Amino acid sequence: MKFKLSVFIFAVMLFGFFLTPAAQAHTPLCSCYDNGDGTVTCEGGFSDGSSAAGVEMHVEDGSGKVLFKGKMNEDSEYTFDKPAGDYKVLFDAGEGHKITVNGKEITE
Amino acid sequence: MKHVITTISTLAILAITLPAFAHFQMIYTPESALNRGGRIPLAIVFTHPFEAGHTMDMGRPEQFFVTRSRGENIPKKTDLLPMLKPMTWTSLTNSGAAYETEYSARGGDHIFCLVPAPYYEGEEDAYIQQFTKMIVNVGGEPGAWMEPVGLDCEIVPLCKPYDRWTGNVFQGKVLFKGKPVSGAEIEIEYLNHKPLLDKKAFAKEASATAPQAAFVLQTIFADDNGVFTFGIPKAGWWGFAALGIDPEGSFKGKACSRDAVIWIQAKDMK
Repeated sequence: MKFKLSVFIFAVMLFGFFLTPAAQAHTPLCSCYDNGDGTVTCEGGFSDGSSAAGVEMHVEDGSGKVLFKGKMNEDSEYTFDKPAGDYKVLFDAGEGHKITVNGKEITE
Repeated sequence: MKHVITTISTLAILAITLPAFAHFQMIYTPESALNRGGRIPLAIVFTHPFEAGHTMDMGRPEQFFVTRSRGENIPKKTDLLPMLKPMTWTSLTNSGAAYETEYSARGGDHIFCLVPAPYYEGEEDAYIQQFTKMIVNVGGEPGAWMEPVGLDCEIVPLCKPYDRWTGNVFQGKVLFKGKPVSGAEIEIEYLNHKPLLDKKAFAKEASATAPQAAFVLQTIFADDNGVFTFGIPKAGWWGFAALGIDPEGSFKGKACSRDAVIWIQAKDMK
């Protein structure tokens, strides 16, 4: 029994060892640009070049109220009307793959 | 009589040897790996980069465009030719007609491609046309940097041209009309004098000193598959030119060396 437990622990460690580098090689990326026409476009992706199509996007105002909710399109883009006041954009591709972009940092 | 023959052969050899000074078509921007998007300057200069030497007068280019790609998206091509503005670039020895523009870069890979007008080289009584590529990445998200753009003469990078540390190798594949060029001759030069975009000139200070003329312009050959490998000894911009890869290259009834050029930028590990 003791032997089996150590084999199990080893297997878990081995699994973790292979899992970790894969996660590191897959950093989420999201940049937003003011289009200059009253809209903002966010471009999402991953550092290994994989698509962010379908990733959930939220736009919140300064108090955390959700203004817009949507998904990255086929080209891994999400466009919304630029809010008047403070806002932030959340790119949510699951645990460990979330990015928040402050509206103040979004320029042309 | 013997003297005359010797003189003639010497002159003939000189005539063949002299043009070996490397002309390099540059598409220059200060930074190939940007953290954030924004407007970036581009300078298009036909020069001798290691010595910041003689700068040739460029004619209006035949093509200047960028393909932008991000992740798995299909690359989008944008014509930048109408954006080009003539300027005069000053080298350490002269000044020459060149071009400049600005480009608004967002995320991903931007492959800038130039097909210049063939340049008449009087000493050779022949033309030179260097199909040139330079790749800028924004934000670290890769695109189609490894895909051929479809230029007649093209070097396709086999390593990301914007992620090389000093001491890494750079590998590229030489293509003529999409087919590998077996044994292509490749000349390599280091951009040894910083381009000062505000002054439209090279900085006087050199960052490296060549111990002998051979080091100014390094020469390597591609293998049977058109693939070449170069170890990068110093941070900065490096230019690679595969020479005369169109066996029937001609323009206005004269020989035309149609070359493929690519620029890469290496960084020190700090």
